[in-house]
Amino acid sequence: MLKLQDLVKAYRTDEVETVALNNVNIEIETGEFVAIMGPSGCGKSTLLNIIGMLDTPSSGHYFFKDEDVAGYSEAQLGVIRKQHIGFIFQSFNLIDELSVFENIELALLYHDIPASDRKERVNAVMDKVGIAHRAKHMPSQLSGGQQQRVAVARAVVGNQSMILADEPTGNLDTAHGQEVMEMLQKLNEEGTTIVMVTHSPSHADYARRTINLLDGHVVTESMRA
Amino acid sequence: MFQNHVKIAIRSILKNKLYAIINILGLTMGLSIYLFGGLMANYEYTHDTFFKNYDRVYTIRGEVNPLAGIGIGQVDNVPSGVAPVMKAELEEVEAIARTIFRDFLVSINEDNYYENVRFADAELLDIFDFEFIIGDKSALSNSTGIIISESYAKKFFGDQDPIGKTITLDHEHDLSINAVIRDLPQNSHFSSGVLPMLTRPLNIIIPMSAMERITDFQPDTNWTSTSTGNLTYVMLPETLDQQWLQDQLPGIYERHFPEEQRSFLSGMLTRPLIDANTALWDTIGLPVITIIEILGLMVLIIACVNYTNLATAQSMGRSREVGLRKTLGAGRTQLLTQFIIESITTTMIALVLAITVLEIIIPLFNSATGKILSIDYLSDLPMLLATALIVGLVAGAYPAYVISKESPISALRDSGRKGRGAVWIRASMIAVQFIFSVGILAAVLVVYEQNKKVEENSQIFPKEQVFTLDRLNVEQMEDRHEVLRNEIMNIPYVEQFSLSSQVPYEQTNTNIKASRVLNDFSAAINFNQLNIDDQFAVLYDIPIVAGRNISRDIAMDTHIRENKAVNVLVNEIAAKVIGFESSAAAVGQVFYEDEGDRGITTYTIVGVLEDRNILGMFNDVKPFFFFKRDASYRVASIKLSKNASFDVVDDIEEVWTEVYPDYPMQGKYLNETFQMVYMLFELATSSLATFALFALFLAAIGLFGLAAYMAEQKTREIGIRKVLGASNNQIIRLLIWQFSTPVLWATPIALGLSYYASNKYLEIFADRISLPYGMLLAAGIGGIVISWLTVATQAFTIAKTNPVNALYHE
Repeated sequence: MLKLQDLVKAYRTDEVETVALNNVNIEIETGEFVAIMGPSGCGKSTLLNIIGMLDTPSSGHYFFKDEDVAGYSEAQLGVIRKQHIGFIFQSFNLIDELSVFENIELALLYHDIPASDRKERVNAVMDKVGIAHRAKHMPSQLSGGQQQRVAVARAVVGNQSMILADEPTGNLDTAHGQEVMEMLQKLNEEGTTIVMVTHSPSHADYARRTINLLDGHVVTESMRA
Repeated sequence: MFQNHVKIAIRSILKNKLYAIINILGLTMGLSIYLFGGLMANYEYTHDTFFKNYDRVYTIRGEVNPLAGIGIGQVDNVPSGVAPVMKAELEEVEAIARTIFRDFLVSINEDNYYENVRFADAELLDIFDFEFIIGDKSALSNSTGIIISESYAKKFFGDQDPIGKTITLDHEHDLSINAVIRDLPQNSHFSSGVLPMLTRPLNIIIPMSAMERITDFQPDTNWTSTSTGNLTYVMLPETLDQQWLQDQLPGIYERHFPEEQRSFLSGMLTRPLIDANTALWDTIGLPVITIIEILGLMVLIIACVNYTNLATAQSMGRSREVGLRKTLGAGRTQLLTQFIIESITTTMIALVLAITVLEIIIPLFNSATGKILSIDYLSDLPMLLATALIVGLVAGAYPAYVISKESPISALRDSGRKGRGAVWIRASMIAVQFIFSVGILAAVLVVYEQNKKVEENSQIFPKEQVFTLDRLNVEQMEDRHEVLRNEIMNIPYVEQFSLSSQVPYEQTNTNIKASRVLNDFSAAINFNQLNIDDQFAVLYDIPIVAGRNISRDIAMDTHIRENKAVNVLVNEIAAKVIGFESSAAAVGQVFYEDEGDRGITTYTIVGVLEDRNILGMFNDVKPFFFFKRDASYRVASIKLSKNASFDVVDDIEEVWTEVYPDYPMQGKYLNETFQMVYMLFELATSSLATFALFALFLAAIGLFGLAAYMAEQKTREIGIRKVLGASNNQIIRLLIWQFSTPVLWATPIALGLSYYASNKYLEIFADRISLPYGMLLAAGIGGIVISWLTVATQAFTIAKTNPVNALYHE
């Protein structure tokens, strides 16, 4: 699915250069469920942003489906991103002014899909994540777990082949966290590649592979039996 | 504490320079315009207050009979016959006096000048306490003594004693100077007109008792003549008020007004003296000063709304400061005070700048208009400060409220999110701004287009090519009219010469009642009368559609009063309204005029002229009839060839001086006659345009502020949209759309308002531009385009930010 080769991301201010990622080499196969762990400031989110093409590396290569996208412009990245990648954030990032249905539909609005089609797909995905009965509610009327389910629905409604989740359970209690993890697992079993940043070892256990980062380096990689 | 507030206010102004400059500039603009409008209105409304008895003096106005069809509701005067009967019947009245204007050729020493003089009743001096430099109130008591103004005395007699010196009117009537009065200040109705050229300063006062001798006009028994500026003043004792006076007028009207005059004036009204100078606007039906006040206030409101909007937007960046202050124990009132002091400080800075602007503009305005506006700091300062205080309070109240109501935690967290309500309120404010400014803009376009039409219509006469000589209707000049014609026709470049009683664009109506049935004038039609020579139709290029032109060789073509009959020309519309089937059918037919004691005159139509709008401007083409009457010509029109050199006017003057050595030449191009009236309309366009420009500019600034604020609010939403695949273009389109929604729904309201206002304005004109829809639409589109340009920069900036920044914003 994707391959990072000698990837470096450095932030430069007037006086100091901060290296967020240093010579990172990672390969992720289609259909994998990968967890990225590490202490605060180790570069997890930067890595996820680069994989998600929200940010660009300073040097090195990023092969996405055998295409080196490292030097692509923002617009080019945008095209790939909207076709293949879905995002889930810790803070849900739903739009307060839109209803549940509209929030999910938003992801399709940028895909040239006729309205009737959109309605069908949004309804289907709402059923899948169990939020259909809340279709007309506004985000502020939902619990955190429900909001995150909407976010998951939004991430997959466009048939994205990869989901990037940045601490998806960070704002949720244990029960709701569990629910979201099971949902991700189910998606993975259906073939979606999932890359997840997390602090929680128990949630990392849902993944088949765990990558540990420290100060911008990959320190260990472990596979679950 | 207060000092601390002011210090913080100044620092925060310095810190946010862009916002501060926009704020201060906007408020300066708003305050300047509002204050200027206020000063001007106040100036116009306080005329004549320096007269001791001003609050007891009233003028009598005529209420125009709607059936008279002259398009105005009131005139500022009544016939001069009214005053004597009022004096006889109303014993309670302290004094009544009339003034009547006349133009004369005035000779002093050996020099001749045209001068506007006033005939006045002696009681005028009881009503107005003029300051006598020499002489006293008895000056008007004999019919050959006159009063002149100080500056007039100085101009003609220098340091000599003017008393007893002789002034001659029309080379015929000698008058001697009895008294000299101090010049009146500019802010008196005696000396101020709407335009400098309409201003007739009080230079020569002649006793009313001399009027009949000098002019044949009988003021005490005249019930037919009304003319703007010929006022009748009434001074009441302190115990009586305007209502009392008003109540007496219907009785006087009923008992004395001649029957035939009632179709013109249907009643009489009173007005306080201080209104006398603004009377012209009432007559036209355009309350200009009120309009200026309202527009000034609108612009100020727009400026306030701007401040409110920008300050609220800007306060988002300061919630951290507020949270901190709250955590440290600042109460809500203290925070409110702090932010309001900040807005008042800004307004005070704007006030100082606005006063500077006014001090620069007022002298320019004064020299352009001949008015004497000034800021009297002693009496105006409280008003100025109060205005700034109120503006600061009004503009600062909402942002202060919004920012101080937050809980310290959410303020510290700087969530940057406010409820929908706040945005809604501010979007409405933007809408109000655009309603005002697009509304004014639309009105400007309509007024401009209509003026253009008036100007285009005026092109039917070659006004740049015609030079006119005025004031030929003096007995001593009449027998040399033909000499003048022959001499002038000899000048190179002169193509034609014509004499007439009036020329195009002059707003004078001389009417007769014309009837086709002898002895029955019940269904008579109003015809405008114009006395012309045989060259008039040729010079002004008016085709003869039927019959023939009048000729000097046919005896019946020249009017001689004793004949009671004359051959005339009519225009097409006259032929039609009096009932002829066609122009050709009218030729050879007759109509009659009942001249009362003088009997009935028979007019035989020998030719029909094509319709031409002789009065031009706002008038409809009126029914006219034209005939030759040699003793009635006032103006000579001289048509010059297109390539005529400027010297030709010198040549004309030379000829004039030879023919009429005793009379100064009164020459001007026909275009100047046109411009005299047209200027009023242009004035309307240019002042409206100024308001519209300022209003739009301010509204655009306001929108910029709202866009900046909304942009701040929307960074997260935009981040989400981008992550979901929205392109920059899609985002920009979305933002521009969202930012300009208030403008979009303000536009139809604005256009509705200006549609109403423009229609009111167009009603003044007979020949109006067809439908102002296009114009209104253009203004609406203009407003929307301006709003889009304003928000586009904001939209571009946010659309280009990396979505990551937005998403981790919390």
